[in-house]
Order: sequence, then structure tokens, then C-alpha cells
Amino acid sequence: MPELTLIVADPAGLHARPAARFVQAASRFESRIVLRHGGREADAKSLIALLGLTIRPSSEIVIAADGPDAEAAIAALAAELAPYLGAPI
Amino acid sequence: MVGLVLISHSGTLVAGLREMVMQVAGDEVAVGTAGGTDDGRLGTSAPRIADALRSTLDASPEGVLVLFDLGSAALSLELALEDLDPGDRDRTRISEAPLVEGAVLAAVQASVGASLVEVEAAAAAASTMTKLPRE
Repeated sequence: MPELTLIVADPAGLHARPAARFVQAASRFESRIVLRHGGREADAKSLIALLGLTIRPSSEIVIAADGPDAEAAIAALAAELAPYLGAPI
Repeated sequence: MVGLVLISHSGTLVAGLREMVMQVAGDEVAVGTAGGTDDGRLGTSAPRIADALRSTLDASPEGVLVLFDLGSAALSLELALEDLDPGDRDRTRISEAPLVEGAVLAAVQASVGASLVEVEAAAAAASTMTKLPRE
């Protein structure tokens, strides 16, 4: 299951607008995609699940995908969120 | 795509909410509003609601989810629905979700091409959503 660890750089954390962009981008892929943060995991295709993680700025998140287009999904999501995220670690 | 109709006693409230919803979900989702009375006071108006429903249904082949604030908005909405063609009524569902949170969640769900039932479920989840960080 490919995954990517990132730091949220946006001073507002991962809140409504970037979270919505994330859901829209994730929904274009067939793979199951999750976002992990603080020991919890959320379905990346569900806005309420993502908002429920209450991701604060400078915190670490992991994007993981499982399915036929998993690698492409992670690359696309990282690109989509580039304005809000720091470099991969 | 599924559209939304937002109903409130205040036209200002739904205009602002519409702006917020469009910024979060993008402009592909049709969002109609009906707020205030015909003479600009606080209240709800069945004819204004019916107009918003018709125009949003026209722009939304997959149907429309309606969210409203409280109280007599439910009564005006009921009257407006009676005024719709049966075909339009069948493509309309009413949400009990909190207006702001429900509208944002529903609009994002609609923006990814979800069905009316899925959009309704996304809005319903607003009642139990977490807003403050859990440490």
C-alpha cells in the first residue's frame, strides 16, 4: 500500500477549503484512499471524516492508497495539496 | 449533478452561506436560495421557496437537497412543495441537518457527482460532526 508522509504547512491547518479540494481530488480515483493523523485514520473521499481529524498546522499527515490507481492517486493528491503542504519527509 | 436549495428567515444569511458553500465546493453545484419575505422582512415565503426549487431543479438533473434554518421555514417549504409538479417533487429531498454545516458537507458531496441519497447522507452527518480538536 503506497503512502506518503507530509507536513501541513498552511497556517490554518487542513480546514474546509483544502479539505474539500482533497475530497474532490480523491474521488476521481478508484483506490481506497485514507489520511492518517494523530493515530486516527479518515476516508479521504469524505469531507466530514477529514474535518473530523482536525488537522492543525505543522502537523504530520500520511496519505495512503490501496487499489489499482494507488500510485497515481497519491501523486495527484500531493500535487493538489501542494499549496497547503510542506515537502515530503 | 445534485443541487442545493438553502432556506432561511434571513436573505442575508442564505446569501452569505451560498457564497461560502460555492467557495468550498466550487461553482459546478447549483445552489438556490430563498430567504426573507417578499417585502424584505425576516421570515419565509412559500412562493419564493417554490421559485428557488424550480430554478435549481431545472439546473440539477439528479435532484435537489433542501436545507432550512428552523421553525416556520418547514411550513412554508411544505406549501412550496405542494406547488411543484409531482415529477419535480420526486426529485426533491428535505434535510434535517444543521444549515451551515449540512450545506457545506452536502455541496462537496454533490461536487464529486454523488447521488441525491449520498448527498442527503453527507448532510445528515453534520449533526454529529467534530469541530474542535480531540486531544
